Amino acid sequence: MRTGRWRNALTVALVAGLVLAGCARPETDRQGDDRTLTVVSVIAPQTLDPAKTAQNNAWLEQLAYEPLIVRRSDGTLRPGLAESWHYEGDDNTTFVLTLREGVRFSDGSELTAQTVVDHLTYVVEAGGQMAPFLAGNTFTAVDDRTVRITAPAPNPDFPVILTQDYIIGGVIGPAGLADPSILGTTTVGAGPYMLDPAQTVAGDHYTYVPNPHYYDPSAVHWDTVVIRIITNPQSVLNALRTGQADVAVGDPATVTAAEQAGLTVASALFLWSGVVLADRDGTMVPALADVRVRQALNYATDRQAIADALFAGIGSPAHQVTVPDGYGYNESLANAYPYDVDAARELLAQAGYPDGFSLAIVTPQYQQLNLIAQALAQQWAQIGVDLQITDYANANQYAAEAFGGQFPAFMTAFGHIPIWMQGPSLFLPDAAFNPFKNVDPTLQALYDEAARASEAERPERDRAVIEYLTTQAWFVPVVMTGLPYYARDTVSGIRTSAQEPLLSLYEIVPAN
Amino acid sequence: MVRATVRWLASSAALLVVVTALTFVLTSIAPGDAATAILSSQSGSYTPEQVERMRHLLGEDQPLWARYGAWLADLARGSLGTDLFSGQPVTEIIAARLLPSMSLVVGTVLVATLVGTWLGAVSARRGGFVGRLVDVVSLLGFAVPSFWLALVLIELFAVRWRLFPPGGYVDPRDDLGGWLATMTLPVVTLSAGAIAFIAKQTRDAMSDVLAQEYITMLRARGLSERSIVYKHALRNAAIPVVTMLGLTLVSLLSGAVVIEGIFFIPGLGERAVVATGDHNLPVITGIAFCFTLVVVTTNLIVDLAYRALNPRVRHS
Repeated sequence: MRTGRWRNALTVALVAGLVLAGCARPETDRQGDDRTLTVVSVIAPQTLDPAKTAQNNAWLEQLAYEPLIVRRSDGTLRPGLAESWHYEGDDNTTFVLTLREGVRFSDGSELTAQTVVDHLTYVVEAGGQMAPFLAGNTFTAVDDRTVRITAPAPNPDFPVILTQDYIIGGVIGPAGLADPSILGTTTVGAGPYMLDPAQTVAGDHYTYVPNPHYYDPSAVHWDTVVIRIITNPQSVLNALRTGQADVAVGDPATVTAAEQAGLTVASALFLWSGVVLADRDGTMVPALADVRVRQALNYATDRQAIADALFAGIGSPAHQVTVPDGYGYNESLANAYPYDVDAARELLAQAGYPDGFSLAIVTPQYQQLNLIAQALAQQWAQIGVDLQITDYANANQYAAEAFGGQFPAFMTAFGHIPIWMQGPSLFLPDAAFNPFKNVDPTLQALYDEAARASEAERPERDRAVIEYLTTQAWFVPVVMTGLPYYARDTVSGIRTSAQEPLLSLYEIVPAN
Repeated sequence: MVRATVRWLASSAALLVVVTALTFVLTSIAPGDAATAILSSQSGSYTPEQVERMRHLLGEDQPLWARYGAWLADLARGSLGTDLFSGQPVTEIIAARLLPSMSLVVGTVLVATLVGTWLGAVSARRGGFVGRLVDVVSLLGFAVPSFWLALVLIELFAVRWRLFPPGGYVDPRDDLGGWLATMTLPVVTLSAGAIAFIAKQTRDAMSDVLAQEYITMLRARGLSERSIVYKHALRNAAIPVVTMLGLTLVSLLSGAVVIEGIFFIPGLGERAVVATGDHNLPVITGIAFCFTLVVVTTNLIVDLAYRALNPRVRHS
């Protein structure tokens, strides 16, 4: 009897549980009138502080921190917290912004020129990834709505730096600047939304609700925006296919599946992926000090084979550290290093390495960089170069060792950015991607010329910089790809372009 | 009783100290450190002076015993420290992720217990073809890789048939049905292997018990086979099974991390892996402390279960 009662109770509980589970539709197949936007990012931010977070966390920042200048999906600029801007003089050293009136932060405090000055000062002092773009500048509040930035050297890219793409244009409110320790887990911005910490689990999902003080309520299209972190590319695709998410950062490995699933796929050429030959002075690997060796590695790379194998339909060979229609792109260098093993062997022999040499390299696993490295190992073995790969699943571990100068070479995927900005990031002596601090006076002179150039002259000067980097073979670019984004048909505004390959959350609206 | 309680408290405290101290030691000897991890995440490049300054800020230039002592002092004040990158209190991080992890682990143990003991009992009772069939099914659950099973279940039950979500987690306090829905596929995935273990253990124990003389006596008295198996024999066969359940729960604490990733469940295992790669010592130690608490609690429950099942243990 007791056994029967227990069994009955268990059966009832089991059936009830199944009914509850089956009836529940927590996040799938949401209808068109649901005003929650769920977007998926693949990298969890370590901090939400705009001055310290990495550039790939731009989505998490732009919702709460509207930048001074906003870049549209077609690459043109429009007013953000600043209603106008211009350069004073003709040497690109003095940049003036006029702030929009009536802007308030999420805590109700007012945006003033002094707040912007304090914010930019904090960005520089915090020493984050984007700080070098503003280092050494003087920030002045000319009056309550006018900010002047004076640079020690020409900087033609202030407007671009202060957009949502580089995060630091998103102004932090006075409460956050007074106590920056709170910025790691909450937001104090003047953007259309603000973080709801009660609905947020750090590293898993971040929930944003409308900022009640936002100056343009008509631009607030959603009641809630959830940024969910999903690192597995297949899981990202499943979330979209089942309606758990509306928009996601895609992955080359799942683009075809996304298209077959009927998702919108937006992608503009943006990234070049390849090798940074960091040890150009030959500190760890003497062979790399010789330009002929670096050129040999370029000639020994079968870029088309790698593009076909790993990025079929979405990638193409890259010979320059930029992309077509990108900053400094040279049509004449579109095939600068055709695949030629004999030419590579000849160059190595001339440099005194007929039998090749050993080269240690570190790689992360995103953007299939580890797979590109494995392909290069096979290809370079033909010319006697023994590529020894260290492969890290943890991107922070890879970054620590690559940027810490612990390897003579490292894999990277780098987005095309203005040449002036590329210098401090990629190839100038203090650049993060130049851990061995290589100095090249010719390159420095070309870079400085481009920085001083007028808007009409700059494209030619930019091309000169890229041409030098290509012929000197500081890198082995292998393949260029777009950054794919996937979206369901419940949303529209999914647009990217060569001039703005990063999807802006500002333009995503309900499809109906 | 008092003596047993004191003994349990002392051994649990010792275990907590050993585990957390080991965590400090192992993290300190692993390659890399938090200072370079923080600086490279913020700015990419850094000077040796910046590294030294950061190490000083983080207290990494202090001797290991001093840093562990400071951690123990914080613990006495009810704090597990703060995340080195975001500044979020570790207690908050754990609080947000404990329920998802325990939902997964406890749910798996419950399902594995119910299904595994039933399969084991059927296998022991029936023998023959049925018994062998149960053995094969159980072993399949053990042999199939959990990550493969997860992807198959997601493709069928979530993507094609839309019966369950492909991942995520819903708090049961907000939506009980949603919680059950998000937990179903991950629990089924993890249970497959655990069921095999428990079924095998149950079958072996049951086979021994069913061969005992008192079982023959019960049959001679005319009791039904069902009553003999489920009311008398299973109780006596349960002790080794309870041990297995305890071990299963403990192994699932860290073993569920792959499943947490595939189903994007905000669990402690996944967070611990990220923290380890970042050398985020307060988070690593806090989660290790939490896991150890779960282990000692599990051991206590197992001991209490022994006493309930076996009068000889109760009175010893």
